[in-house]
Amino acid sequence: MKKIRNFFKSLFSFDTQPEEPENIEELRVAFRERYHNFKLLLSANNRSLEVMAEMEQALQGDRTFSMSFVRSSATSISVNVFRMIQSLQQLAPDKYAELDARFVTIEQSVNAILKQTRTLPTGRLILPLNALDKDMAEVAGSKMANLGEVKNRIHLKVPAGFVITSSAFKRFMDYNSLQVEIDRKLQSIDSDDIEDLYSFSAEIQQLVIRSRIPDDLEAAISGAWEDLEAESGGKITVALRSSALGEDAEGSSFAGQYRSELNVSFEHVFQAYKEVIASKYSLQAITYRMNKGFRDEDILMCVGCLVMVDAVSGGVTYSRSPVSNRDDSIFINAVWGLPKSVVDGSVACDLFVASRQPQLSIVRKDICLKERKFVCYPQEGVCRMDLTDEESTRPCLTDDQAQQLAEIAVRIENHYGMAQDIEWAIAGSGAIHILQSRPLKQIHSGETEDTAIDPELKKLLIVGGGITASPGAGSGPVYLGDRGVDVLAFPEGAVLVARQALPRWASLLTRASAVITEQGGFAGHLANVAREFGVPALFGIPDAATILKQGQVITVDASRQAVYDGLVPVLLSDTGVSKTCLMKGSPVHEILKQVSQHIIPLHLLDPDSREFCPAKCSTFHDITRFIHEKSVIEMFDFGKDHNFSERSSKQLYYRVPMQWWVLNLDDGFKEEAQGKYVTLDNIDSIPMKSFWKGFVAIPWDGPPAMDRKGMMAVMYQSTTNTALTPGVRSAYSERNYFMISRHYCSLSSRLGYHFSTIEALISERPRENYISFQFKGGAADTNRKLRRVHFIKDILEELGFRVEIKEDHLVSRLENHDMAHMEKQMEILGYLTLHTRQLDMIMTNPVSVNYYRNKLRKDIDTMKAGD
Amino acid sequence: MEGFNVLFVDDEVDFLETLLKRMKKRQLNAFGVNSGEDALAYLKDHVVDIVVMDVRMPGMDGIETLRKIKKTNPLLEVIMLTGHACLEIAREGMEVGAFDYLMKPINIDELLYKLQDAFKKKSIQMEKIKHLEEVMISSKLPQSDD
Repeated sequence: MKKIRNFFKSLFSFDTQPEEPENIEELRVAFRERYHNFKLLLSANNRSLEVMAEMEQALQGDRTFSMSFVRSSATSISVNVFRMIQSLQQLAPDKYAELDARFVTIEQSVNAILKQTRTLPTGRLILPLNALDKDMAEVAGSKMANLGEVKNRIHLKVPAGFVITSSAFKRFMDYNSLQVEIDRKLQSIDSDDIEDLYSFSAEIQQLVIRSRIPDDLEAAISGAWEDLEAESGGKITVALRSSALGEDAEGSSFAGQYRSELNVSFEHVFQAYKEVIASKYSLQAITYRMNKGFRDEDILMCVGCLVMVDAVSGGVTYSRSPVSNRDDSIFINAVWGLPKSVVDGSVACDLFVASRQPQLSIVRKDICLKERKFVCYPQEGVCRMDLTDEESTRPCLTDDQAQQLAEIAVRIENHYGMAQDIEWAIAGSGAIHILQSRPLKQIHSGETEDTAIDPELKKLLIVGGGITASPGAGSGPVYLGDRGVDVLAFPEGAVLVARQALPRWASLLTRASAVITEQGGFAGHLANVAREFGVPALFGIPDAATILKQGQVITVDASRQAVYDGLVPVLLSDTGVSKTCLMKGSPVHEILKQVSQHIIPLHLLDPDSREFCPAKCSTFHDITRFIHEKSVIEMFDFGKDHNFSERSSKQLYYRVPMQWWVLNLDDGFKEEAQGKYVTLDNIDSIPMKSFWKGFVAIPWDGPPAMDRKGMMAVMYQSTTNTALTPGVRSAYSERNYFMISRHYCSLSSRLGYHFSTIEALISERPRENYISFQFKGGAADTNRKLRRVHFIKDILEELGFRVEIKEDHLVSRLENHDMAHMEKQMEILGYLTLHTRQLDMIMTNPVSVNYYRNKLRKDIDTMKAGD
Repeated sequence: MEGFNVLFVDDEVDFLETLLKRMKKRQLNAFGVNSGEDALAYLKDHVVDIVVMDVRMPGMDGIETLRKIKKTNPLLEVIMLTGHACLEIAREGMEVGAFDYLMKPINIDELLYKLQDAFKKKSIQMEKIKHLEEVMISSKLPQSDD
């Protein structure tokens, strides 16, 4: 086979073999192959530019993207650049071998950034709580590290326990090869499609739960459990609490995204461990990470095991107000039994407010009807109990307990020097145990005095009151959430109305314009996440799900605690709270930024410059630019130099012989053109025909009348700029050449003193269609040249082109429209090619500029309206 | 473009089935197998123009299968279609001779274009070989007459 190929190669190497008439069929095939190669090169070029544009857009940071977007984009660009190199080497063997090395260097730089991983400080699988402090988040996750700090440095009462470390998590994931599988699945899903995410979430959680805990980890957990029983003096059950690592970037709480397992016995500790880990892939956790720009592999799940406190009452304390940084009161939310129901927003809770001045004391108590509580079963598990009349109305803290909790809050806050969110439980003995303490994010409130409701709006008011869980106002149709599956049907921009403030609603927050719930306070997880994402949330509106009707458009003013009928624009404009841009500064955004440095910047601008060479290609974009330029020239020179009459260039005959030459690359002529001319009727190239139609549509008025200064500038440039001297440039640019096939056209033209190239691929494949238009130079001085370039930029942008200008070089592109639209744009470019010539002369004369701008716009509109 | 035969190789059964259905709706002669080993076996006794193959599969992985295919059947065009975005593996695949390396999820039209482009490349190669054979035969004949 190789022999045959070699023989074949020698047969078709055109450099050495002169054409023989009997080889005509082979020649045709060879030309066709060349052209097909060229087309593949163009499509690879197009694709890589497209993905680069997507990357640039993502860099703006105003939409979410995940690590798999970064990886797929980088890989896709890399593959397409590689294909371009391959194709170019087919067109011109051995000529551009240097590109290979450039490619590898860039690829390796990109790869190095994508492969960065977190290095862990220790290999220990288990650490006791006694050994932890706040600086050990890398090992224990921030939750457990902070709990260690509270226990060992602030010396408050914390249940005994240990942490299954980040190294243990890695051990578990590696042992089961989970990360590769997760990345693969992540890439294939559409992150905007909640249904996709839903099934992805379910699959991965299953996968984790079915995985095996490696023997060394199992042994380590068993050993730690025995130590804990020895320390506690008897049989124990524990609470397994997620303590993720990598979540602690500024402004993100990951509130309630992960699972905790309460009252677990030794029998089930391994299963429970896997369940907590699996909760890293709950729907709300996945969407949260995506929206915050976290890399999946950067989030390591440490799991804390704390001896279970059978709580009489429990709750959450905020050492300051989460919704206003002007309020330094302490807020204590409490329920009977385990604090679980405060956190998950499922039960109404008592609120105690303490003031710091003149001395720390409880100044307000809101005691509500508590219908149920959660308590521990003796063996394992948690049960829900309905409360009797007496217990349901009695405050679940004594004044003394509330006072103690306020004092604890101040103590922890002082230690950390920032507001805290503290979870606690009170045991049967009356002792207060701290279960968690983390920084509390406070929202900057604007003018707080402006809380009164506008009397004009009173008549639209549906319901008022409740608790501001997250300030601001939002409007949209009501969507009544009920069961878990409703998540899938939630419409973009709706107002979520639910009975309970359950954490699972968090996955909807990026799509909701506001949230209303009947139960739940501002201490719950959902409230936390709503604040973080800047979604207005109003909690504690009794019967909201009954009063508000599905689909009814309402406006929620969470700051002033009111719900209005219909759209109330005045409220929406003055909220002062804008949805925060979450991607900028996030880890994933940072990686994209680094990666793009090796991909996007373009250094190769001027093909005539000596810098325009493989050695100067330092990004993928440079390589594509270089290859594209060279491939066009290779195609051109090959056709032009080769003594094959079917493929040699023909002069265009349109009424008379024109100063335009046409090179047929493949199927650009209806029939073979005999002799030196090709008539316009014989042209079968879709883009060229459109171009020509526009070019001859409206006659040119001749050169604009220029002032004396403009004339001088032109004359001066003509004598100094060698690029304007014939014979200096390559043959390709001396004349006006069309290279065509049925769907392709490349036009290099020198009209007046400027140089422009237009290239277009127009076919029934909209995704491959593009027009690129480049423009450079002019005879006038730099100032005038620049003005014209910007003049043309404005026009092109109006047409929908993406335009970039560097110096006096304009590069523009239009992509992915259907055939008819592309043909029309090509026609307009034909018109512009003729009518912008020599416009640089008048560019300093505002009256003329205006005249020409209006004329061009008018003509373009006429053309758009035509046929 | 006239009909041509495409073999899809993917261990994800659901994905494969959906893809085959969508391809058949577009008048393509599409077939499917679930592993690299099955692909090689299938190619032994079926006429296939293009293979579209996953990279990560249990047993023989996509790159290894690609290597084997290119050895026995260099004219067959192979497109890698994978959920595994990795620059190194992509380059390895391209160097071994894959026509392209595409990432899931793929736009169905785009995949169709790729198939057409790959098939055209293959057709041109076949044509070249056909002419080559003719040349060889015609150059042999006079010699044997002597």
